[in-house]
Amino acid sequence: MRNVNWLGLAFLSPALVMVTLFFLLPVVLTGFFAFTNMSTATGVTGGEYLLNSASLRRLQNEGLPQEVLAKLEAGGYRVDAAGLAALAEATTPATAQELEQLHGAAEFSDRRDMERALKDLLDNRIRRTRDRKEAAELFKRSILNERFATEAAFRAALSETGTRTAYAEQITTAAYTGWVWTTKNVELLFALPSTLRYAANTTLYVTLTLAFNVGFGLFLAITTFYLPKGQGAAFRAIWFLPRILPPVLYVLMWRWFTWDTGFLATVTGYFGISPKNWMLDTSYHAWTVVVLINGFVGASMGMIIFSSAIRAIPTSMLHASEVDGASRWQQVRWIILPQLAWPILFITCYQTLSLLTSFEYILLATDGGPGRATEVWSLAAYHTALNNYGGNLEYGLGAAFALVLVVIGIAASLIYFRLFNFKRLITKPLIEG
Amino acid sequence: MSSKNWPVLLLLSVVSLPLLIMCGYAVIDAFSDTAPGSLVPTRFTLEHFRFLWEPVAEARGSIWVATGNTFVFATTSALVVTTVSLTAGYALSRLNFPARGFFLAGLIVLHAFPTITLIIAIFLILQMLGLYDTLIGVIVVKTALELPLGIWIMKGFYDTVPWEIEMAGVQDGASRATVWWHLVLPQVRPGLMALILFSFLSGWSEYILPQVLAPGSDARVLSTYLSSLILDDTKADFNLFKAVGLFYAAPVVVIYLLFQKHLMNIYGGGTKG
Repeated sequence: MRNVNWLGLAFLSPALVMVTLFFLLPVVLTGFFAFTNMSTATGVTGGEYLLNSASLRRLQNEGLPQEVLAKLEAGGYRVDAAGLAALAEATTPATAQELEQLHGAAEFSDRRDMERALKDLLDNRIRRTRDRKEAAELFKRSILNERFATEAAFRAALSETGTRTAYAEQITTAAYTGWVWTTKNVELLFALPSTLRYAANTTLYVTLTLAFNVGFGLFLAITTFYLPKGQGAAFRAIWFLPRILPPVLYVLMWRWFTWDTGFLATVTGYFGISPKNWMLDTSYHAWTVVVLINGFVGASMGMIIFSSAIRAIPTSMLHASEVDGASRWQQVRWIILPQLAWPILFITCYQTLSLLTSFEYILLATDGGPGRATEVWSLAAYHTALNNYGGNLEYGLGAAFALVLVVIGIAASLIYFRLFNFKRLITKPLIEG
Repeated sequence: MSSKNWPVLLLLSVVSLPLLIMCGYAVIDAFSDTAPGSLVPTRFTLEHFRFLWEPVAEARGSIWVATGNTFVFATTSALVVTTVSLTAGYALSRLNFPARGFFLAGLIVLHAFPTITLIIAIFLILQMLGLYDTLIGVIVVKTALELPLGIWIMKGFYDTVPWEIEMAGVQDGASRATVWWHLVLPQVRPGLMALILFSFLSGWSEYILPQVLAPGSDARVLSTYLSSLILDDTKADFNLFKAVGLFYAAPVVVIYLLFQKHLMNIYGGGTKG
């Protein structure tokens, strides 16, 4: 039976490849990205080396001595081939030739020295001050605002400016435009007051929605169970709609329902209430709508699972209780609910995790508004990394947000394993024995 | 019995009212005009469906391109998910191989794992691979994220097939692969059907992945078409939105009505919040 082993792996391999590439790899990479400063500014792949006024300011804040900064900023003058070619173009080739003979490869740190060199040419002296200034400009060599593809090139250019090697390391780090490893994101998560706000929002969102899902799901399952078959099926079909309708359309219907020209505003308008947006008016409105939007979807899942659990109860039990004179309420309380304990636990576990990370409906409905009232954790991750008005998308910080959810997700799954008796799920195949 | 039912019926009707109103007016408003401040439509019109023959907004292009993309997206991901789950589900349900317990445990974790937390990392991976803003990129990602659920569902269907069928086949000297192809596959055909439909609907409804991974106009699908129409709200033309929405949701409703029995097998387990 040796070959059967390989058949199993062969059957599994296509799935393994895909799941590894776009499921496990992202999980691992989320961990890595969380410790980088990746953003729109740094790009995703490597970076270049570039000193500009912003990086100089950063270096100044880091305490780099003023004279080093000045040297970086001023740059120097060097009589090199490129400059000579430009000079030949601007004046005459003879001028350039003479300058090369007298000062070839010379370096001047001061503009005045460079100009003097141009003035003191024997045969081709440049007489007018303005011309000299322009000619001197051609030889100006500054490290500022020049892009270097590699670190070596940048360091070479840096040493040419005469910066002491003691500072080279610090300056090179500051000049790098790509992403680097950092623990700042995690520190930021703990430092920012908004983090606490998102955590509180998430707790509120998950608790309220979950309570609604389970409570209303139970209500729907039990009431439709007691209705005649056709009526019960009709209501179940209605409450199945939130689940099968595409989220964009489902939320669109809610937007219309609560819009300032929509249903609620029109109906309340009949009673003289001035029209307003019932979804975004206050944060209480927003929360109510967010919980209802998600709750309707979640409740229909609860309804399906609870309904099938109720139907699995032997009807003889229900008949017997009826004969004994139990009321409907007593039947629900003492027969149906105890049978539903397990499904309720399942729904609670399952939906805690999925609510914790879902933001699709909130994104489409309130987009975290009004203000940041309904901004939950996962939505904050999305806004930080993938879509915000500032335009600088902070992938690293967003990944740090997501990493928290990944950790919670893995921990929760492990707990659920114990809870739902994992051993039972991996029974051995029979044929191999 | 039925005389006692009317309070329950009334209660259910009242709580169902918002949903009924929303769905009802989605259809009514798509086909009619209503004066502002009123709920009674004044005239029947097909004008709100003008997006079918002319672009409603210049930047957004034709809806037929978006429809084509959505169809390709949903069909491809459904077919790949089903094909891959078909073999992987069988392996996990019936075959013994090294580290089987590990794979099963991994599958359950992934199944419970909220995929959307991965979107940032996936976004960066697609950028590095150069698949960002392409339909192929979104299809591959959707397929991979849908796989754990697909395999789990398929494994569930295989688990219900009686062992005796395979025992008989193996006893008669057929290889496991032959047994799978000729004896077991016909048994799980309803599950196969359900999984194809389910993943097609899931792809058709998907919003976040195309929105994040392919925001450009070339790979636009119906969900992002509709949402960009809604969010670009210089003036909220709900009649137009609802008409587009009906057009978008029509296949979903039709498939659901036709194959309700198949789909119920899967929706009971559930993937959405």
